[in-house]
Amino acid sequence: MTTPYDGSLDLDKLTQRHETFRMPILELHRLTKRFGDFAAVDDLSLDIAAGEFLTLLGASGSGKTTTLRMIAGFEPPTSGEILMAGTPIAALPPFKRDINTVFQHYALFPHMSVRENIAYGLRMRRVPAAEREERVSKAIAMVKLDQLGARSPRQLSGGQQQRVALARALVNRPRVLLLDEPLGALDLKLRKEMQLELKHLQTHLGITFVYVTHDQEEALTMSDRIVLMRQGRIAQVGTPRDLYDRPASRYVADFIGETNLLPGTVVESTDGVATLRMGDATLRGLTEGPLAAGSEAWLTVRPEAIELSGGAAPAGYNAVTGTVADAVYAGSALRVHVTLSGGRRLVANVPSGTSCTHGATVTLAWPMAQGRCVGD
Amino acid sequence: MSAIERPTWLDRVRARPRLRTAIAAALPVGFVTILLFIPYVLLLVHSFWRLKGGVITHELTLENYQRLFGTELYPNTILFSAGVAIRVTLFSLLLAYPLAYLLAFKVKRHKQLMYMAVIIPLWVSYLVRAYAWKIILGQSGILNGLLQAAGLTHEPLTFLLYSRWAVILALTHIYTPFTLMPIYAVLEAIPPALKEASQDLYANRWQTFRRIVLPLSLPGVLAGSTFAFVLSMGDFLAPQLLGGNDSALMVSNLVWSLFGVAYNWPLGAAVSVIVLLLTLFLLWLANRVETAMNYAGQTVGQAGGRTVGLSGRGV
Repeated sequence: MTTPYDGSLDLDKLTQRHETFRMPILELHRLTKRFGDFAAVDDLSLDIAAGEFLTLLGASGSGKTTTLRMIAGFEPPTSGEILMAGTPIAALPPFKRDINTVFQHYALFPHMSVRENIAYGLRMRRVPAAEREERVSKAIAMVKLDQLGARSPRQLSGGQQQRVALARALVNRPRVLLLDEPLGALDLKLRKEMQLELKHLQTHLGITFVYVTHDQEEALTMSDRIVLMRQGRIAQVGTPRDLYDRPASRYVADFIGETNLLPGTVVESTDGVATLRMGDATLRGLTEGPLAAGSEAWLTVRPEAIELSGGAAPAGYNAVTGTVADAVYAGSALRVHVTLSGGRRLVANVPSGTSCTHGATVTLAWPMAQGRCVGD
Repeated sequence: MSAIERPTWLDRVRARPRLRTAIAAALPVGFVTILLFIPYVLLLVHSFWRLKGGVITHELTLENYQRLFGTELYPNTILFSAGVAIRVTLFSLLLAYPLAYLLAFKVKRHKQLMYMAVIIPLWVSYLVRAYAWKIILGQSGILNGLLQAAGLTHEPLTFLLYSRWAVILALTHIYTPFTLMPIYAVLEAIPPALKEASQDLYANRWQTFRRIVLPLSLPGVLAGSTFAFVLSMGDFLAPQLLGGNDSALMVSNLVWSLFGVAYNWPLGAAVSVIVLLLTLFLLWLANRVETAMNYAGQTVGQAGGRTVGLSGRGV
């Protein structure tokens, strides 16, 4: 059961937090959004620090966009509260929130020029004309569209429209900028460029970015912290490195980056090390929380951590044997697909100079600390 | 080994794009030529012929046009018709816009059903709808019955029927769906994200309507107005059935009596040509304005011009 937030603040907790951390600019408190029987966002609590680049990452239907829309004010939460700098804002309409949004398909006003689009927010806030024009000019310069102010949005390329959308939001100097898959419609090269540009812009302006994407690579590149969402709940929150190196579950390991997942039964789990039994092999890996003995678990190991060896594996290594099913040259690395005796496949990225024959029996080995044992 | 097929005559026709186009176009072009183009040419030619002793002679003359512009009756009737048409257009817009807005944005469930409910009157014969107003507004009609039953009046009101307002009322009723359809189509085509973006940029609901929704819906308003104006300007039945002393004569009724009772085809043709030119001018103008609006960056409102289309039945 969720209880609606009663609006009071725990002052002790607040001052304490203020001393130790930066004050969160946004606090999502037990936020829930139901559409009929379906809970799009399910009891989600999250603090977003001022000035951070936070990414809501997840597959479609994971609730990331609904969360963003609740922060923006387009969807009223079914229950829960949103605090902005300590003030509850869940009941405020979008036009009264000090938050701006960059929309997925830009949502530029087609009947207005680029300048008029960018000036819209300032006009609505009755910023004096002189200041307005100056700020619009600066915003246009910031996104490098100096020559295009008089154009109509439809005369612009996708990348340029994207910049207009960004300028239109940033010109208002919001405390929080929400971005809903803003690069989704751009081609790969442009997307990479814009990723860096967005990150620079964010660092430079010091505005809190809440960024929604389903692209884990994008999330890893840009974010200070990633919130990986799954079925309306948080699967894991942490820095990109946390999520990549210390996935909390099979789902996270599978979602972030490329990995090999080996299912097994937990034999024992002590002092952050778990032992799994997989067929007749025994594998060991690090683990965050203790795993219950006898339960189902997975060992995840990244392809780049695996080494190919002919003979026995060194001490402290996990080792499995199998036959080479495929070896694909990928420039900097050779991607070797190995079929294990149980029929399961592993992928190892080895130096591209390695010689490897199809059908050969090989031993795959990786240091124990490179593997992690996780539950579902 | 299978035999190589030889091209049939159909393949040969298919291989010739021009011939293919000609065959495909023959029927519609023939249809338009015979049923529209030739009659219009005949009308135009008739308007330059002379009526002599009750017989149409094939002498070319400008007499008909001189008489048309020289007699008060004809320009006045045209102006009166335009006046009725303008009122009908305004009332239709006042009814259709809010209704289209509600349908497009506020109605979530049974949207199609509601839309059909608005459109269904179009399926009922126009004659029936005009007669219905006669029944409602007549001396012993429904409205008078209700007023008397409620004790508001003691005798039937006679000014309800047979007046210009009865004509305007009936025409507004009949042409409001025509106005609604293009407006609805344009409103439906406005991406919801545009309204959200506006609110995100501090515009309240009213500002969002005035600065985003209204400007983007203008092509639909224009198309709808053109429908209402052109159709009611050329209307024949409503004034015939519901018009009074001052209003039984709109331009179509005039043309009808010139071709009928008066047997003055040349003059009737001349009046028709003038009204046709006026209408074409209006359509051209509406089209120009619409193009200008589109050029001004309209990408979402195209339903107004492209799919619904600025086409009237003419007179």
